[in-house]
Amino acid sequence: MLRVSLLLRSGGAARRFSSSFSGASVLPPNLLLPSNLVDPARLKRPPPPADCPLPLLRKCDAAVPSHLSPVQTWVETLQRPDGEPLGLAQLHPDVFAVRPRLDILHDVERWQRNFKRISHASTKVRSEVRGGGKKPWNQKGSGRARHGSIRSPIWRGGGVSHGPRGPTSYYYMLPLKVRVQGLKVALSSKMAQDFLHIVDSLNIPTPDPQYLLDLVRHRHWGDSVLIVHVGDEFPENLLQATENLKTVNVIPAIGLNVHSMLKHEVVVLTLDTVKFLEDKLLWHDQRYTPLYPFKLPYADFP
Amino acid sequence: MSVLGGLLRAGASFCQSAGTLLQTARTISTGTCCRIRMHAIPELKKVDRWTEKRSMFGVYDNIGILGDFKAHPKDLILAPCWLKAFKGNELERLIRKKKMVGDRMMAVDRHNMEKRIRFLYRHFNRIGKHR
Repeated sequence: MLRVSLLLRSGGAARRFSSSFSGASVLPPNLLLPSNLVDPARLKRPPPPADCPLPLLRKCDAAVPSHLSPVQTWVETLQRPDGEPLGLAQLHPDVFAVRPRLDILHDVERWQRNFKRISHASTKVRSEVRGGGKKPWNQKGSGRARHGSIRSPIWRGGGVSHGPRGPTSYYYMLPLKVRVQGLKVALSSKMAQDFLHIVDSLNIPTPDPQYLLDLVRHRHWGDSVLIVHVGDEFPENLLQATENLKTVNVIPAIGLNVHSMLKHEVVVLTLDTVKFLEDKLLWHDQRYTPLYPFKLPYADFP
Repeated sequence: MSVLGGLLRAGASFCQSAGTLLQTARTISTGTCCRIRMHAIPELKKVDRWTEKRSMFGVYDNIGILGDFKAHPKDLILAPCWLKAFKGNELERLIRKKKMVGDRMMAVDRHNMEKRIRFLYRHFNRIGKHR
Protein backbone atom coordinates (compact mmCIF):
# COMPACT_ATOMS: atom_id res chain seq x y z
CA MET A 1 0.00 0.00 0.00
CA LEU A 2 2.84 2.36 0.89
CA ARG A 3 4.78 1.35 -2.30
CA VAL A 4 1.66 1.98 -4.46
CA SER A 5 1.16 5.45 -2.97
CA LEU A 6 4.89 6.27 -3.46
CA LEU A 7 4.67 5.24 -7.14
CA LEU A 8 1.56 7.38 -7.63
CA ARG A 9 3.25 10.38 -6.05
CA SER A 10 6.40 9.99 -8.18
CA GLY A 11 4.24 9.73 -11.35
CA GLY A 12 2.60 13.08 -10.57
CA ALA A 13 5.98 14.68 -9.85
CA ALA A 14 7.39 13.39 -13.15
CA ARG A 15 4.46 14.83 -15.08
CA ARG A 16 4.87 18.21 -13.41
CA PHE A 17 8.66 18.11 -13.98
CA SER A 18 8.24 17.42 -17.71
CA SER A 19 5.69 20.21 -18.12
CA SER A 20 8.17 22.73 -16.74
CA PHE A 21 10.65 21.77 -19.51
CA SER A 22 8.33 22.01 -22.49
CA GLY A 23 7.66 25.78 -22.25
CA ALA A 24 5.48 28.36 -20.58
CA SER A 25 2.20 27.81 -22.46
CA VAL A 26 1.39 24.15 -21.76
CA LEU A 27 -2.22 23.96 -20.62
CA PRO A 28 -3.50 21.14 -18.42
CA PRO A 29 -5.35 18.50 -20.50
CA ASN A 30 -8.59 18.74 -18.56
CA LEU A 31 -9.08 22.54 -19.01
CA LEU A 32 -12.40 23.65 -20.48
CA LEU A 33 -12.30 27.01 -22.26
CA PRO A 34 -15.33 28.96 -23.50
CA SER A 35 -15.46 29.36 -27.26
CA ASN A 36 -15.58 33.17 -27.26
CA LEU A 37 -12.51 33.59 -25.04
CA VAL A 38 -10.05 36.24 -26.18
CA ASP A 39 -6.45 35.08 -25.87
CA PRO A 40 -4.64 37.52 -23.56
CA ALA A 41 -1.22 36.55 -24.92
CA ARG A 42 -2.30 37.86 -28.33
CA LEU A 43 -3.59 41.13 -26.91
CA LYS A 44 -0.51 42.22 -25.01
CA ARG A 45 1.46 44.52 -27.20
CA PRO A 46 5.22 44.18 -26.77
CA PRO A 47 7.16 47.20 -25.51
CA PRO A 48 8.92 49.19 -28.27
CA PRO A 49 12.15 47.50 -29.42
CA ALA A 50 15.46 49.34 -29.34
CA ASP A 51 15.69 49.70 -33.15
CA CYS A 52 12.18 51.07 -33.68
CA PRO A 53 11.95 53.46 -36.69
CA LEU A 54 9.26 55.68 -35.10
CA PRO A 55 10.41 59.07 -33.79
CA LEU A 56 10.99 59.76 -30.10
CA LEU A 57 8.33 62.37 -29.34
CA ARG A 58 9.14 63.08 -25.72
CA LYS A 59 12.19 62.86 -23.51
CA CYS A 60 12.23 63.16 -19.72
CA ASP A 61 12.60 66.76 -18.56
CA ALA A 62 13.86 65.96 -15.08
CA ALA A 63 17.20 64.25 -14.59
CA VAL A 64 16.93 60.48 -14.52
CA PRO A 65 19.16 58.81 -11.89
CA SER A 66 22.11 57.03 -13.48
CA HIS A 67 21.21 53.60 -12.14
CA LEU A 68 17.71 53.74 -13.69
CA SER A 69 16.66 54.00 -17.30
CA PRO A 70 13.56 55.77 -18.60
CA VAL A 71 10.46 53.72 -19.41
CA GLN A 72 9.72 53.61 -23.15
CA THR A 73 6.13 53.48 -24.37
CA TRP A 74 4.16 53.90 -27.54
CA VAL A 75 2.40 57.17 -28.28
CA GLU A 76 -0.91 56.52 -30.03
CA THR A 77 -3.56 58.68 -31.60
CA LEU A 78 -7.34 58.88 -31.29
CA GLN A 79 -7.84 60.45 -34.75
CA ARG A 80 -7.66 57.19 -36.64
CA PRO A 81 -9.64 54.14 -35.53
CA ASP A 82 -6.77 51.74 -36.25
CA GLY A 83 -4.12 51.11 -33.61
CA GLU A 84 -0.90 52.19 -35.35
CA PRO A 85 1.34 54.10 -32.94
CA LEU A 86 2.67 57.53 -33.86
CA GLY A 87 5.95 57.42 -31.99
CA LEU A 88 7.72 56.70 -28.75
CA ALA A 89 7.88 58.51 -25.45
CA GLN A 90 10.22 58.25 -22.50
CA LEU A 91 8.72 58.37 -19.02
CA HIS A 92 10.54 59.03 -15.76
CA PRO A 93 11.18 55.79 -13.84
CA ASP A 94 10.67 57.42 -10.42
CA VAL A 95 7.03 58.08 -11.34
CA PHE A 96 6.13 55.27 -13.73
CA ALA A 97 8.41 52.42 -12.62
CA VAL A 98 8.14 52.54 -8.85
CA ARG A 99 7.89 49.39 -6.73
CA PRO A 100 4.29 48.11 -6.62
CA ARG A 101 3.51 48.88 -2.98
CA LEU A 102 0.07 47.35 -2.50
CA ASP A 103 -0.06 48.41 1.13
CA ILE A 104 0.29 52.08 0.15
CA LEU A 105 -2.43 51.66 -2.48
CA HIS A 106 -4.69 50.08 0.15
CA ASP A 107 -4.01 52.90 2.62
CA VAL A 108 -4.67 55.64 0.10
CA GLU A 109 -7.83 53.97 -1.19
CA ARG A 110 -9.13 53.53 2.37
CA TRP A 111 -8.30 57.17 3.12
CA GLN A 112 -10.15 58.38 0.04
CA ARG A 113 -13.22 56.42 1.04
CA ASN A 114 -13.27 57.45 4.67
CA PHE A 115 -11.96 60.96 5.13
CA LYS A 116 -15.03 62.49 3.50
CA ARG A 117 -17.45 60.15 5.23
CA ILE A 118 -20.07 61.67 7.47
CA SER A 119 -22.48 59.17 8.98
CA HIS A 120 -25.82 60.80 9.77
CA ALA A 121 -27.16 57.77 11.65
CA SER A 122 -28.65 59.00 14.89
CA THR A 123 -30.85 57.57 17.61
CA LYS A 124 -32.54 59.09 20.64
CA VAL A 125 -31.46 58.27 24.16
CA ARG A 126 -34.06 57.65 26.85
CA SER A 127 -33.87 61.27 27.95
CA GLU A 128 -34.51 62.58 24.43
CA VAL A 129 -37.51 60.43 23.58
CA ARG A 130 -40.76 62.32 24.01
CA GLY A 131 -42.52 61.48 27.25
CA GLY A 132 -41.40 59.14 29.98
CA GLY A 133 -40.96 61.51 32.89
CA LYS A 134 -43.55 59.93 35.14
CA LYS A 135 -43.28 56.63 36.94
CA PRO A 136 -45.87 54.38 35.15
CA TRP A 137 -47.21 52.62 38.27
CA ASN A 138 -46.33 52.45 41.95
CA GLN A 139 -43.17 50.70 42.97
CA LYS A 140 -45.04 48.15 45.08
CA GLY A 141 -48.52 46.76 45.03
CA SER A 142 -49.50 46.46 41.37
CA GLY A 143 -47.97 43.02 40.85
CA ARG A 144 -46.13 44.16 37.68
CA ALA A 145 -42.37 44.56 37.27
CA ARG A 146 -40.96 47.77 38.69
CA HIS A 147 -40.25 50.55 36.18
CA GLY A 148 -39.28 54.18 36.38
CA SER A 149 -40.22 55.49 32.95
CA ILE A 150 -41.92 54.25 29.82
CA ARG A 151 -38.98 55.27 27.62
CA SER A 152 -36.24 53.18 29.19
CA PRO A 153 -34.30 51.03 26.67
CA ILE A 154 -36.02 47.79 27.69
CA TRP A 155 -39.43 49.19 26.75
CA ARG A 156 -40.92 49.10 23.27
CA GLY A 157 -40.70 52.66 21.91
CA GLY A 158 -38.01 53.51 24.41
CA GLY A 159 -34.64 55.08 23.77
CA VAL A 160 -31.62 53.25 22.37
CA SER A 161 -28.90 52.91 24.98
CA HIS A 162 -25.75 52.47 22.82
CA GLY A 163 -26.83 53.47 19.37
CA PRO A 164 -25.22 55.79 16.80
CA ARG A 165 -25.14 59.33 18.11
CA GLY A 166 -25.62 62.19 15.73
CA PRO A 167 -23.59 63.00 12.65
CA THR A 168 -20.19 61.33 13.03
CA SER A 169 -17.12 62.09 11.00
CA TYR A 170 -14.32 59.72 10.05
CA TYR A 171 -11.84 62.35 8.94
CA TYR A 172 -8.10 61.77 9.00
CA MET A 173 -5.19 62.72 6.76
CA LEU A 174 -2.39 60.54 5.52
CA PRO A 175 1.06 62.10 5.34
CA LEU A 176 1.65 64.10 2.17
CA LYS A 177 4.44 61.88 0.92
CA VAL A 178 2.29 58.75 1.36
CA ARG A 179 -0.41 60.23 -0.83
CA VAL A 180 2.14 61.24 -3.44
CA GLN A 181 3.69 57.76 -3.35
CA GLY A 182 0.20 56.28 -3.75
CA LEU A 183 -0.23 58.18 -7.01
CA LYS A 184 3.17 57.05 -8.23
CA VAL A 185 2.48 53.41 -7.32
CA ALA A 186 -0.89 53.50 -9.06
CA LEU A 187 0.63 54.93 -12.25
CA SER A 188 3.47 52.40 -12.16
CA SER A 189 1.06 49.50 -11.68
CA LYS A 190 -1.05 50.62 -14.63
CA MET A 191 2.10 50.94 -16.73
CA ALA A 192 3.42 47.54 -15.66
CA GLN A 193 0.11 45.81 -16.44
CA ASP A 194 -0.08 47.48 -19.87
CA PHE A 195 -3.20 49.46 -18.98
CA LEU A 196 -1.63 52.89 -19.42
CA HIS A 197 -1.77 54.50 -22.86
CA ILE A 198 -0.16 57.76 -23.99
CA VAL A 199 -1.96 59.77 -26.64
CA ASP A 200 -0.65 62.86 -28.44
CA SER A 201 -3.90 64.85 -28.19
CA LEU A 202 -7.58 64.27 -27.50
CA ASN A 203 -9.05 65.46 -30.82
CA ILE A 204 -11.62 63.09 -32.28
CA PRO A 205 -13.05 63.29 -35.82
CA THR A 206 -16.70 62.82 -34.76
CA PRO A 207 -18.76 63.58 -31.63
CA ASP A 208 -20.25 60.10 -31.91
CA PRO A 209 -19.93 57.97 -28.74
CA GLN A 210 -19.97 54.81 -30.85
CA TYR A 211 -16.65 55.86 -32.44
CA LEU A 212 -14.96 55.80 -29.03
CA LEU A 213 -16.52 52.47 -28.10
CA ASP A 214 -15.42 50.91 -31.41
CA LEU A 215 -11.92 52.32 -30.94
CA VAL A 216 -11.66 50.87 -27.45
CA ARG A 217 -13.01 47.51 -28.61
CA HIS A 218 -10.74 47.37 -31.65
CA ARG A 219 -7.59 48.12 -29.67
CA HIS A 220 -8.62 45.71 -26.89
CA TRP A 221 -8.06 48.34 -24.24
CA GLY A 222 -10.60 47.09 -21.71
CA ASP A 223 -14.02 47.75 -20.21
CA SER A 224 -13.59 51.21 -18.73
CA VAL A 225 -11.38 54.10 -19.80
CA LEU A 226 -10.25 57.13 -17.81
CA ILE A 227 -9.02 60.00 -19.99
CA VAL A 228 -6.89 62.62 -18.24
CA HIS A 229 -5.98 65.99 -19.72
CA VAL A 230 -4.25 69.09 -18.37
CA GLY A 231 -5.92 72.44 -18.49
CA ASP A 232 -9.50 73.66 -18.63
CA GLU A 233 -10.28 73.28 -22.31
CA PHE A 234 -11.34 69.94 -23.66
CA PRO A 235 -12.19 69.29 -27.31
CA GLU A 236 -15.93 69.70 -27.95
CA ASN A 237 -16.16 66.38 -29.79
CA LEU A 238 -14.70 64.49 -26.87
CA LEU A 239 -17.01 66.15 -24.35
CA GLN A 240 -20.08 65.40 -26.45
CA ALA A 241 -19.02 61.83 -27.09
CA THR A 242 -18.34 60.99 -23.44
CA GLU A 243 -21.33 62.85 -22.04
CA ASN A 244 -23.68 59.89 -22.15
CA LEU A 245 -21.11 57.13 -21.83
CA LYS A 246 -20.89 55.56 -18.40
CA THR A 247 -17.61 53.69 -18.57
CA VAL A 248 -15.55 56.25 -20.51
CA ASN A 249 -14.88 59.29 -18.35
CA VAL A 250 -12.82 62.44 -18.80
CA ILE A 251 -11.23 64.25 -15.88
CA PRO A 252 -8.77 67.14 -15.63
CA ALA A 253 -5.26 66.29 -14.46
CA ILE A 254 -5.88 67.99 -11.11
CA GLY A 255 -8.60 65.42 -10.43
CA LEU A 256 -6.37 62.35 -10.81
CA ASN A 257 -6.62 59.99 -7.84
CA VAL A 258 -5.98 56.39 -6.89
CA HIS A 259 -9.64 55.38 -6.57
CA SER A 260 -10.51 56.49 -10.11
CA MET A 261 -7.42 54.78 -11.47
CA LEU A 262 -8.36 51.53 -9.78
CA LYS A 263 -12.02 51.78 -10.81
CA HIS A 264 -11.32 52.34 -14.49
CA GLU A 265 -9.44 49.55 -16.20
CA VAL A 266 -7.47 51.70 -18.62
CA VAL A 267 -5.92 55.14 -18.07
CA VAL A 268 -5.19 57.38 -21.07
CA LEU A 269 -2.81 60.32 -20.62
CA THR A 270 -1.73 63.00 -23.07
CA LEU A 271 1.87 64.11 -23.41
CA ASP A 272 1.10 67.38 -21.60
CA THR A 273 -0.49 65.44 -18.77
CA VAL A 274 2.61 63.28 -18.42
CA LYS A 275 4.80 66.39 -18.18
CA PHE A 276 2.46 67.94 -15.59
CA LEU A 277 2.33 64.79 -13.45
CA GLU A 278 6.07 64.22 -13.53
CA ASP A 279 6.63 67.83 -12.58
CA LYS A 280 4.24 67.69 -9.61
CA LEU A 281 5.14 64.24 -8.31
CA LEU A 282 8.93 64.40 -8.61
CA TRP A 283 9.20 67.63 -6.64
CA HIS A 284 8.31 65.79 -3.42
CA ASP A 285 11.39 63.55 -3.67
CA GLN A 286 13.77 66.43 -3.16
CA ARG A 287 11.93 69.09 -1.25
CA TYR A 288 12.66 70.42 2.20
CA THR A 289 10.25 69.71 5.01
CA PRO A 290 7.74 72.56 5.27
CA LEU A 291 8.25 75.12 8.02
CA TYR A 292 4.74 76.45 7.45
CA PRO A 293 1.91 75.12 5.22
CA PHE A 294 2.61 75.16 1.54
CA LYS A 295 -0.39 77.35 0.78
CA LEU A 296 1.45 80.32 2.32
CA PRO A 297 3.98 81.90 -0.02
CA TYR A 298 7.47 80.47 -0.34
CA ALA A 299 10.32 82.19 -2.13
CA ASP A 300 11.06 79.32 -4.53
CA PHE A 301 7.68 77.56 -4.83
CA PRO A 302 5.75 77.28 -7.14
CA MET B 1 -34.96 19.02 12.65
CA SER B 2 -35.05 19.23 8.89
CA VAL B 3 -31.29 18.59 8.80
CA LEU B 4 -31.86 15.20 10.42
CA GLY B 5 -34.59 14.50 7.88
CA GLY B 6 -32.25 15.33 5.01
CA LEU B 7 -29.58 13.05 6.41
CA LEU B 8 -32.07 10.24 6.81
CA ARG B 9 -33.16 10.61 3.20
CA ALA B 10 -29.53 10.67 2.01
CA GLY B 11 -28.79 7.62 4.10
CA ALA B 12 -31.83 5.89 2.62
CA SER B 13 -30.60 6.39 -0.95
CA PHE B 14 -27.27 4.75 -0.09
CA CYS B 15 -28.35 1.64 1.75
CA GLN B 16 -30.83 -0.13 -0.47
CA SER B 17 -31.16 -3.26 1.63
CA ALA B 18 -33.06 -1.56 4.45
CA GLY B 19 -34.50 0.99 1.98
CA THR B 20 -38.16 0.16 2.50
CA LEU B 21 -37.94 0.88 6.20
CA LEU B 22 -35.94 4.14 5.89
CA GLN B 23 -37.86 5.57 2.92
CA THR B 24 -40.98 5.84 5.03
CA ALA B 25 -39.17 7.92 7.71
CA ARG B 26 -40.64 11.38 8.18
CA THR B 27 -38.86 14.61 8.96
CA ILE B 28 -38.89 15.29 12.67
CA SER B 29 -39.34 18.83 13.86
CA THR B 30 -38.90 19.69 17.50
CA GLY B 31 -40.23 23.24 16.99
CA THR B 32 -36.86 24.95 17.28
CA CYS B 33 -36.28 25.65 13.58
CA CYS B 34 -35.57 29.25 12.64
CA ARG B 35 -38.67 31.26 11.90
CA ILE B 36 -37.57 32.72 8.59
CA ARG B 37 -39.20 30.72 5.83
CA MET B 38 -38.17 31.22 2.24
CA HIS B 39 -39.60 29.43 -0.75
CA ALA B 40 -36.72 30.38 -3.03
CA ILE B 41 -33.29 31.96 -2.90
CA PRO B 42 -33.92 35.72 -3.03
CA GLU B 43 -32.60 37.55 -6.07
CA LEU B 44 -29.51 39.71 -5.76
CA LYS B 45 -30.40 43.37 -5.90
CA LYS B 46 -29.19 44.99 -9.11
CA VAL B 47 -26.66 47.71 -8.35
CA ASP B 48 -25.44 49.99 -11.14
CA ARG B 49 -21.69 50.33 -10.51
CA TRP B 50 -21.31 53.16 -13.05
CA THR B 51 -23.63 55.92 -11.90
CA GLU B 52 -22.37 59.50 -12.06
CA LYS B 53 -21.60 59.52 -8.34
CA ARG B 54 -19.79 56.17 -8.35
CA SER B 55 -17.73 56.81 -11.47
CA MET B 56 -16.67 60.29 -10.33
CA PHE B 57 -15.96 59.32 -6.72
CA GLY B 58 -12.64 60.54 -5.40
CA VAL B 59 -11.98 63.07 -8.17
CA TYR B 60 -10.17 66.17 -6.83
CA ASP B 61 -9.01 64.35 -3.69
CA ASN B 62 -5.42 65.20 -4.59
CA ILE B 63 -6.17 68.81 -5.37
CA GLY B 64 -3.48 69.91 -2.94
CA ILE B 65 -0.66 67.85 -4.41
CA LEU B 66 -1.60 68.42 -8.05
CA GLY B 67 -2.97 71.94 -7.73
CA ASP B 68 -0.15 73.91 -6.09
CA PHE B 69 -1.62 73.64 -2.58
CA LYS B 70 -4.12 76.42 -3.17
CA ALA B 71 -6.90 74.13 -1.86
CA HIS B 72 -6.91 71.27 0.63
CA PRO B 73 -8.98 68.05 0.32
CA LYS B 74 -10.70 69.01 3.56
CA ASP B 75 -12.42 71.82 1.62
CA LEU B 76 -14.25 69.16 -0.38
CA ILE B 77 -16.02 67.59 2.56
CA LEU B 78 -19.79 67.99 2.63
CA ALA B 79 -20.63 68.14 6.32
CA PRO B 80 -22.23 70.25 9.03
CA CYS B 81 -19.91 73.13 9.82
CA TRP B 82 -18.82 71.76 13.19
CA LEU B 83 -17.70 68.48 11.61
CA LYS B 84 -15.66 69.73 8.65
CA ALA B 85 -12.16 68.30 8.94
CA PHE B 86 -12.73 67.26 12.56
CA LYS B 87 -12.80 63.87 14.21
CA GLY B 88 -13.65 63.26 17.82
CA ASN B 89 -15.67 61.11 20.19
CA GLU B 90 -19.24 62.04 21.11
CA LEU B 91 -18.36 64.44 23.91
CA GLU B 92 -15.81 66.29 21.77
CA ARG B 93 -18.29 66.57 18.91
CA LEU B 94 -21.04 67.92 21.14
CA ILE B 95 -18.76 70.48 22.78
CA ARG B 96 -17.64 71.69 19.36
CA LYS B 97 -21.23 71.87 18.18
CA LYS B 98 -22.20 73.91 21.23
CA LYS B 99 -19.28 76.29 20.64
CA MET B 100 -19.96 76.80 16.96
CA VAL B 101 -23.70 76.46 16.52
CA GLY B 102 -25.14 76.49 20.04
CA ASP B 103 -26.66 79.94 19.97
CA ARG B 104 -28.49 79.15 16.73
CA MET B 105 -30.08 75.96 17.95
CA MET B 106 -33.68 75.38 18.92
CA ALA B 107 -34.38 75.49 22.66
CA VAL B 108 -35.37 71.84 23.07
CA ASP B 109 -32.42 70.55 21.04
CA ARG B 110 -30.02 72.76 22.95
CA HIS B 111 -31.41 71.60 26.28
CA ASN B 112 -31.05 67.94 25.27
CA MET B 113 -27.53 68.56 24.03
CA GLU B 114 -26.52 70.19 27.31
CA LYS B 115 -27.98 67.32 29.28
CA ARG B 116 -26.02 64.88 27.12
CA ILE B 117 -22.78 66.85 27.56
CA ARG B 118 -23.27 66.86 31.32
CA PHE B 119 -23.96 63.10 31.35
CA LEU B 120 -20.96 62.26 29.13
CA TYR B 121 -18.59 64.48 31.12
CA ARG B 122 -19.57 62.73 34.33
CA HIS B 123 -19.44 59.31 32.64
CA PHE B 124 -15.96 59.75 31.19
CA ASN B 125 -14.38 61.60 34.06
CA ARG B 126 -15.90 59.98 37.13
CA ILE B 127 -16.96 56.45 36.22
CA GLY B 128 -14.89 53.43 35.30
CA LYS B 129 -11.20 52.70 35.21
CA HIS B 130 -10.05 55.54 32.92
CA ARG B 131 -10.66 58.93 34.48
